[in-house]
Amino acid sequence: MTNHWNDIQHADAILIMGSNPAENHPISFKWVNEARTKRGAKLIVVDPRFTRSAATADIYARLRPGTDIAFLGAVINYAIEKNRIHEEYVKNYTDAAYIVNPAFQGATDLDGLFSGLTGAKYDKATWAYEMDENGIPKQDLTLQDPLCVYQLLKKHYSRYTIKKVSDITGCDAADLEAVCETYTATCKPELSGTIMYAMGTTQHTYGSQNVRAFAVLQLLLGNIGNAGGGINALRGESNVQGSTDHGALFHILTGYLKYPKANQPTLAVYNEQNTPKNKDPKSLNWWGNTPKYMASLMKAWWRDADLETAYSYLPKIDDGKNYSYLPIYSAMANGEIKGMFVWGMNPAVGAPSSKMIRKAIAQLDWMVCVDLWETETSAFWQKEAGVNPADIKTEVFLLPAASSMEKEGSISNSGRWCQWRYKAIDPVGHAEDDLWIINQIVNRTKALYAKEGGAFPDPIANLTWNYGKVGLDGKIHPPSPREVAKEINGYFIAEKEIEDKAKGEIKKFKPGDIVPSFAMLQDDGSTVCGCWVYAGSIDDKGENKMMKRDPADPTGLGMFPNWSWSWPVNRRIVYNRASVNVEGKPFSKEKPVLWWSPLKKAWLGDIPDGNGDPDAILPFIMVPHGRGMLFAAGMSDGPFPEHYEPLESVVKNTLSNSQVSPVITRWDEKAKEETCNPILAAGCIAALYGSEEAKEFPTICSTYRVSEHWQTGQMTRWIPWLNELVPNQFVEMSEEFAREHGITFGDKVKLTSARNVEGITAYAMITKRLKPFRIQGKDIHMVGITWHFGYKGLATGGNANDLTPFIGDPNTMIPEYKAFLVKVEKA
Amino acid sequence: MAEYIKLIDVTKCTGCRGCQVACKQWNSLPAVDTMFTGSLQNPKDLNYNTWCLIRFDEVEKDGKLNWLMRHDACMHCETPACAKACPSPGALTKNENGSVVHNPAYCIGCRSCIVACPFDIPRNDKALEKMAKCSLCHDRIDDGKKPACVTACPTGCLTFGTKEEMLKAAEKRAEKVKGVIYPANPHYETHVMYILPGTVGVEDFSHMNPHPKMPATLYWWKNLFKPFTLIGIAGVAGAAFLHYIIKGPHRVHEKKEGGE
Amino acid sequence: MSAHGDMIKVTDGIERVVHWILAGSCLFCLITGIGFMYHSWSFIATFLGGPYAMKWMHIFSGLAFAASFVYSFFMWKKDCQFEPQDLQWVLKGGGYLWSVKDLPPVYKYNAGQKAFFWILVACAIVIIASGVVMLNPLYYPVVMARFAYMLHAGAVVLLGAFIVVHIYLGTAGNPGTVSAMLTGYVSRAWCETHCPRWLADRDSWKPGGEKDVA
Repeated sequence: MTNHWNDIQHADAILIMGSNPAENHPISFKWVNEARTKRGAKLIVVDPRFTRSAATADIYARLRPGTDIAFLGAVINYAIEKNRIHEEYVKNYTDAAYIVNPAFQGATDLDGLFSGLTGAKYDKATWAYEMDENGIPKQDLTLQDPLCVYQLLKKHYSRYTIKKVSDITGCDAADLEAVCETYTATCKPELSGTIMYAMGTTQHTYGSQNVRAFAVLQLLLGNIGNAGGGINALRGESNVQGSTDHGALFHILTGYLKYPKANQPTLAVYNEQNTPKNKDPKSLNWWGNTPKYMASLMKAWWRDADLETAYSYLPKIDDGKNYSYLPIYSAMANGEIKGMFVWGMNPAVGAPSSKMIRKAIAQLDWMVCVDLWETETSAFWQKEAGVNPADIKTEVFLLPAASSMEKEGSISNSGRWCQWRYKAIDPVGHAEDDLWIINQIVNRTKALYAKEGGAFPDPIANLTWNYGKVGLDGKIHPPSPREVAKEINGYFIAEKEIEDKAKGEIKKFKPGDIVPSFAMLQDDGSTVCGCWVYAGSIDDKGENKMMKRDPADPTGLGMFPNWSWSWPVNRRIVYNRASVNVEGKPFSKEKPVLWWSPLKKAWLGDIPDGNGDPDAILPFIMVPHGRGMLFAAGMSDGPFPEHYEPLESVVKNTLSNSQVSPVITRWDEKAKEETCNPILAAGCIAALYGSEEAKEFPTICSTYRVSEHWQTGQMTRWIPWLNELVPNQFVEMSEEFAREHGITFGDKVKLTSARNVEGITAYAMITKRLKPFRIQGKDIHMVGITWHFGYKGLATGGNANDLTPFIGDPNTMIPEYKAFLVKVEKA
Repeated sequence: MAEYIKLIDVTKCTGCRGCQVACKQWNSLPAVDTMFTGSLQNPKDLNYNTWCLIRFDEVEKDGKLNWLMRHDACMHCETPACAKACPSPGALTKNENGSVVHNPAYCIGCRSCIVACPFDIPRNDKALEKMAKCSLCHDRIDDGKKPACVTACPTGCLTFGTKEEMLKAAEKRAEKVKGVIYPANPHYETHVMYILPGTVGVEDFSHMNPHPKMPATLYWWKNLFKPFTLIGIAGVAGAAFLHYIIKGPHRVHEKKEGGE
Repeated sequence: MSAHGDMIKVTDGIERVVHWILAGSCLFCLITGIGFMYHSWSFIATFLGGPYAMKWMHIFSGLAFAASFVYSFFMWKKDCQFEPQDLQWVLKGGGYLWSVKDLPPVYKYNAGQKAFFWILVACAIVIIASGVVMLNPLYYPVVMARFAYMLHAGAVVLLGAFIVVHIYLGTAGNPGTVSAMLTGYVSRAWCETHCPRWLADRDSWKPGGEKDVA
């Protein structure tokens, strides 16, 4: 989230789209209720289904799954057409005025495509700003130049009229207009609108562009950096924010540092390629500090090696490859991967095309599962999985893990609040916490390397491991999460004098001193820091700020600066310098996040996002030019979000003749190749528009969650009280669909897809909350199913992901779980 | 001792069932074997081991879809019909704080309470021959806590406080959301009240009594027939005694021996 | 002379057994019913082993009442048919309220007894039917079940009052009567007073007839 949970109460309009917080974040949903009760905020819910969130909404608008970009396009077009923009904000804080390379051509000119398409990739040379002689983008502050971002944006979105979008999305024109009218009303400087989104936005073929569309809208309305605004991702697990912060994603190191590639053989090259350059003195270009963060990370992991040697210990990603979910399981199916650790995860149920995934897992030599329960993944070789155990050669280990109450550590929530948690009770039986387990693995591996040598022992042998060491007695001591937290925060390992420009003083540090903030991190190896965004989470006395529980709220805006600790540097709302004008006066007098005190010559309120006098720096410090990007050249599929149909669709794209984006990885085409592994061939088939498969599987299907179960159901389907509430898998369908298919209450239905003709069965839930979509004069139906069920647990049921496709967003590889095709028949 | 009211603001309910599970946890009630019911409602009805239940209704009205979710549990009536009907002293007790509490030690399983309840709340176990229902967590209230369901409710749909506080809050909220307070019968007060959305009627909610009151038959039974039974018996016995001492017994005149 | 002297047999063994089952179960139901109806009288349950035990006793006693009632109905309904002169008897208070000279001669049972029989029948049907509903009240529509509880109580009011009258008139109020239900025999004088026409009928039997008694 750019903002945080408590902040939702300050919104004047709340757009819930691609999420269902009343269902999946029921406790935090109270902040939505606060906004409505306390300030009469309007709640807008946009969802293909009338969800629990929709049940309380002021405005509910339906949209066909996979048409979010079109829907948002209508809202953006409405804002531009009716001049519902926060002009001062747009001119000063976004790239609206920047001039773009005249060779750039957008979707309006190129029938849904952008300039530079070569094969299945875009050459982004034309997606660039025109620079002046100082290396700063040229601007037209009148926003009239046809080459300025604003005019290009306007041209791009001019095609997204209410009528057109209504026909694409199946949303009633009146409802669409109501959403546009209500939400864009927050363009007024003193008002704010917040967008709450989750997997309904991201788990799509074009998920990243869905979020990008939110960014464009919020920037136009001036809704980023203020209280009650922001783009707020509702994270789906209690510490997924923490896990991505600490690098548990395929493409990053800790703190979102980019993962090194094979064509970056040295740290110097890595730094050169990954450190954005900026000539504008007003732009802090914070990623310009990459070398400092990278150096500190290298030192955290290999203290005794020099920086280049340390860097050489990092595995590199082969050119042109990525190791996201889809390629990993593809490689696994091909037998290229020998073993896998499955740590607190259940891909046998949660992965797309999960039947294929289970077959891929069967190609492993070994698998170690660390979990609280015997999950579908750890039991993939059992009869319940529908296989013959004798046919599976994989050696499976199940290490029992401690639950969250049985271990100490930190949890970082959606709002970036990092909260320390304590151990309440000991784990049962042989279960141990994750830190203990990994500590055992590292120490034993080090010992094995020391004893037996190996192909390249150095990265492990030289790994600095200051917690849970082997004692004099030869036993491995349990590690302390507090020691780990200290290393993550960082400390000095050499004497250093650093000038604090803001305070005009010299700070002296000696080895062992805590790094007070990432501003003090060095690129010369004198600092250690496990994750730069967490620098500052430990104070200079060594006390862990994540443990703080002081309920004082000086601004009265629910920021609670001394309750836990938020990154970065305890800032609660990021980009908050965009909440004030160039004189430092807040746009909203009623709910000011930040304001400049000319007397104190300092910022009051939240921690400012970038120190310095008003107008001295630009608010969007994480992008090179310091201004919020309406034109995002970093996206692989286009600088502006463009509507394409999902890969599996029964609807022709009527916005352009480009049915799908040309840059998505086409696993379905790879599946058709002769050399393709049969496991992949079966599991990657896609029901493309106009294909035989689309005729056979004509119904849109979407997967989602219910309050009562969680994720793949492994934490909830062993609990009788929860199974009592939702005992069986069920498929939601409209009354019209049920009638057409002769399905009545009590019936079970069978769902099949192009990848799974055996299908799964589930009860039919016939409801008024789903209705057919009227698209191009025809009724298109959708059904919905939870992905909570599998074959292990006290309650079992059909696994929804056995049906889902193997498609990944071109930017993040996140799979398409929300808009694919199935066939529904009475079982 | 203060009188309390549990207020249920249906306009805030998201049907999460936190209240259902919290109730089970506090009262150590086991999960019941359930099957798909056609909606998210599960179990389908209150039962001996399920003392509160979220009921779901999909109602289309004035072109708008309403997905109604309502926490259904004992209304803790001021003059509880169940306690009135109950033949076994101590099995159902009305407390000063407003709660109506069942005590299985005294329950004989006759089910009069279930028949009498205007809201059809108490449920029984046939084999155990006992009834059970929400107790308003009277043990928690006595300890200064709120009922488990109220404590668990994440949206503030369920609130709990003194009668004065809650009646004021209910009025304020009902006005704000243009809703109605239930029950609206001044002659039948309850210690559990609802704020219902104004866009639907009471009749749109399943298992909700549009005219909550003491059943007339119960009134006749307990307020008329009951006193008249003893009055009748005692009265007639008295009259018989009076007859005996005033008119005297009807003696038969026996013929002397030797006759006939 | 018989072992009973010149006493007349007015009831046979079956009548007496059935009557006492009926009366006994009725009184037991009444007492246990009072123990349920009035919480202040719940001490009755203590004597019987607790309210749960009393519930089942009430039920079994009720079943006995129902069975004996059905038999009683068929047994006595013939002799309880009303005849025109019954009205006269009623208007004269049966001689119980003031001295009356010419009471219409009763056959077996006077109008009062007949009235008691039919009131018993009416009440018993209501009490038994409502009792059956109360055995498994949830099997029936709730309105019906609620009426069952009310009518059960209502019928008891009526029946209870009449039973008191019946007991009085069967014992203290009419000396010499109770033996009719104990030994089965009453005196000839008693019969001449209370059932003269039946006596005359009996006397006109030829010897060897069924009704001859020893």
